[in-house]
Amino acid sequence: MNGPGIGLRDHLSRLRDRSDIVSIDDRVHWDEEAAAVASVAAREGGPAVIFEETPGRVRFVAGAFGGPDQLAAHDREPWDRIGDALTAGEDVDAVPSTHAYHDLLDLLAGRGTEPIPRSDAEPAATPDPTLDLHTLGLPTLSANARPLVSLGVLAVDLGPDAGTTWVPVRGDVRGSSRLRIILPRAFHDRLGRAQSATVDGTADAAATGVSVLLGVSAPVLLAALQGWIGDRVRTDTPELAAGLAPVAVSRVADRIVPRDAEVRIDGVLEPTADPEPAHRGDRRSATTTAVDAATAADEWRAAWEATCATATAVVRADRIATREDPIVAFAPLGAPLSDDTQLVSLLEAARLSRRVNGYWGVSPVRWVRLPPEGGLGICLVASEILYAGFEWQLANTLFSFSNLFDKVLIVDENSDPTDLAKALDDMWVKAHPANDWAFSEPHAPSATATRYRRDGETGSRLHIAATWDPRWDEEYIAPRVTFEQSFPENVRESVRERWDEFGLDRE
Amino acid sequence: MTVDSLREYLAVLESHDDLQRVEESVSWNLEASAITMLANERDARVPLFERTEAARLVGDPYRGSGNRPWNRIALGLDLPADLSRFEFYEEVIDRLQDPIAPTAVAAADAPVKDQVLYGEDVDLLRFPWPYIHAGDGGRYSNLHTLVAPDPDSEWVDWSYHRAMIHDGETASVLLLAGEQTPNLYYYKYERRGEPMPVAIVVGAEPAVEYTSVMWIPTDRSEAEFAGGLKGEPIELVECETNDLRVPANAELVIEGEIVPDARRDEGPFGDYFGYMHGPRRSMPVLEVSAITHREDPIIPFCVEGSGVGYAENSTSSMEAGCVGPDATLGLRTAGFDVECCAPWTSTPRTVYVIATDRTEPGYLHELANFIFTTWGMLHVDFFVFVDADVEPTDSRAVVEALALHADPDADFHQFGVETMPKVPLNIYQTPSEKGDIQTGTSKAKTAKTYIDATRSSPAVDRPPELERRARETLREAGVSVALEDALLGDRPDREPTAGGWRR
Repeated sequence: MNGPGIGLRDHLSRLRDRSDIVSIDDRVHWDEEAAAVASVAAREGGPAVIFEETPGRVRFVAGAFGGPDQLAAHDREPWDRIGDALTAGEDVDAVPSTHAYHDLLDLLAGRGTEPIPRSDAEPAATPDPTLDLHTLGLPTLSANARPLVSLGVLAVDLGPDAGTTWVPVRGDVRGSSRLRIILPRAFHDRLGRAQSATVDGTADAAATGVSVLLGVSAPVLLAALQGWIGDRVRTDTPELAAGLAPVAVSRVADRIVPRDAEVRIDGVLEPTADPEPAHRGDRRSATTTAVDAATAADEWRAAWEATCATATAVVRADRIATREDPIVAFAPLGAPLSDDTQLVSLLEAARLSRRVNGYWGVSPVRWVRLPPEGGLGICLVASEILYAGFEWQLANTLFSFSNLFDKVLIVDENSDPTDLAKALDDMWVKAHPANDWAFSEPHAPSATATRYRRDGETGSRLHIAATWDPRWDEEYIAPRVTFEQSFPENVRESVRERWDEFGLDRE
Repeated sequence: MTVDSLREYLAVLESHDDLQRVEESVSWNLEASAITMLANERDARVPLFERTEAARLVGDPYRGSGNRPWNRIALGLDLPADLSRFEFYEEVIDRLQDPIAPTAVAAADAPVKDQVLYGEDVDLLRFPWPYIHAGDGGRYSNLHTLVAPDPDSEWVDWSYHRAMIHDGETASVLLLAGEQTPNLYYYKYERRGEPMPVAIVVGAEPAVEYTSVMWIPTDRSEAEFAGGLKGEPIELVECETNDLRVPANAELVIEGEIVPDARRDEGPFGDYFGYMHGPRRSMPVLEVSAITHREDPIIPFCVEGSGVGYAENSTSSMEAGCVGPDATLGLRTAGFDVECCAPWTSTPRTVYVIATDRTEPGYLHELANFIFTTWGMLHVDFFVFVDADVEPTDSRAVVEALALHADPDADFHQFGVETMPKVPLNIYQTPSEKGDIQTGTSKAKTAKTYIDATRSSPAVDRPPELERRARETLREAGVSVALEDALLGDRPDREPTAGGWRR
């Protein structure tokens, strides 16, 4: 999928077309104030927010990949901004304002690749020797926190076999030229092997040239996450990004970077002597290593960190390049419905959907959702119930494929993925509280997105079968009260034809 | 200005551009309810059907808006529609604590006596009771107040039990043992072989309608609570064929007796939880002795089952706007430290959310089971407890609390304990589990459960001033920020509850 590529600016332009972004023209300080505004906007289901007047070099945008909650009626679905971001290069009139959930899931589950285009063009961001990491003016999450990199991507060359890969990172600024970053442990280990293979493990090999990219487009972010979180690592993330949407690239030193990145921090990756202890995102090792305490800092990790083990490294910045009037997307980490949660919600649902439907030789599952409203701590799955007991099998398959959640709600196959309120209603009215709420023995690994049992202690999991029991007679099955089901066709037609005459709609 | 009648309330709705008069001829036979269901789904104006037979119909007049289900309830109490949830609840709670005795009016001054029909003139079928869902067992009156007396005292209960019209003189009434009026019937009147005198008040003034869905303690005057809610006495007038008194400004009153040892079919019916449920059941029989009504009466009805998901109807909005504050007051009066008790926003009755500061072991157990033994016994299966700073009417916040803070290992209680009663208005029991027993409750027991979704460690909060400034910044940019200021610590201190738990 070669082409001109779409960047964050194209996406923001699309959001303006949709009237789904507002500008804050008042001066907003990067020190906790922007994050507070972004948090409220996300929690309230508001539009994306651009902070036009900030004291630093960069402007910020929050909510570019976010969306409203689905527990109240909104014109937009939670995933629509991500859908818009992936289609920002297409004619706006040809792209519906609401994106079909199944289509997005299929696109992300497919993990298709495209060759990356030629990379002889210069990056859009040009070096500015007057800049350092502090003068960029990145936002902080609280008064005493450091400037934050929340939706960052690290570009690094892994050698002639693997080439460039893009890796999700969260980071905070340490001084004018040091950036401490959290990255997937799998990447950390992979990089170590690449270095050993390349230079025979000499001490000089420890310093690796990298670029930290801020203000990148959705396909770049999504591909970095696709490649490095979850259970199967892939290094060909630029090709994955090109498989999602057109991506233009450039070459910086030995690595390929998205050409349209708003800010690029070139430098050297300095691995710590040992990676930090396994994050509880890696539940399989949680019983043998220390884990993070439930501190405020832990609440402010990026959502993807709950999906995998992480490691810490430091980037020593040698050069900072920016586009003119740069704009950086950031997520108010820890806030409900933040961008990072929305991105992981979609990706994890796509991954699980692909895996469960490829597991039994048939594809009973209609959709999987990890609603961002639930902070990734609960998974909803709509499925045909193949036989008695299939609910248990399905739930435990999902538990074994993902470590994020310990609650699975199973709803009937005809449930609507765009009506989360009704899907959750079924949990209360359709599942028998004595029979259909099933708790496992208390020996399951703890979930990583939840806020309890953070010491790694084992416990129970819960699955709720809000489905019709396949053993029930047809006469037991209660029809839903809906306009379609509660009225005969002639009444429906008559009402629809005369609706405007009734004058009931508001202006 | 108080709202003295359904008509006045509809005029208030009209003045707020919340009501539309439908002049086209509309049939009671599924058509009025189909239009109302679409209006509910689209959050459109309330339809007042001017041209049906012999009376007018109004569909779901108390339906609120999706994000503020109490807003039209508030209009019925002469309160602003834009009150926050906190402001609205506290105002209703204040009013409920200040009951006002009713006054009596002569029949000549009672609009509901404009027309008085006895004997052979009594004919329920003269009125356009709606057939609401295809598949319902019959036509229903389902937005009314059932007035019934205790045979052993002066207490008169006002409640909300639907009636299925059978013919010109009889209807079956849904009476489920465990609620006050059904208990009077099953365990007093019927055991003594006596008929229970009743009056079904159709189209009562809003305060009366609201009181009917609340759990007013036994022996307390419902009329006084309605007066408290309204801020003025309710005017009552004597019935024609029994000793009951009914609101004088009602649109229509059906007088009669619920006779002992007789049952007629009731249901199936598309019910409040959003499904048709069956099977057809046997319920006590109302024999009508008189009908009185205003000129050109207006019959309100509710399209049950349409108040789920994103849509509201009268039932779901009254649950949020009437039962919620009443339950909050009831729990506080019982000594529990409850910030708010409110229904889950997208399905009425089955699940309630309670915000409380008290989360120590034993407290939530006591609180949940206290409710299950009172008003929560029949319909409510679940309580979800959240921290006091979580807004119970904010489903997003409650789902987050459930997902992230409720540990399957420790926080889900009484699931699987099949020892509690249940009404057959559910879809998770089989017909054989529901049975068809004389007192209306299901044959099989069920579980009554609660979930502790409070945090195990304190929330990471931003300073209130920063939060306030952030919201102001967004508002100035044109972003709608609905979350109320009261969540930021601006709430006035409540009077301490009397004695407290374990008092």
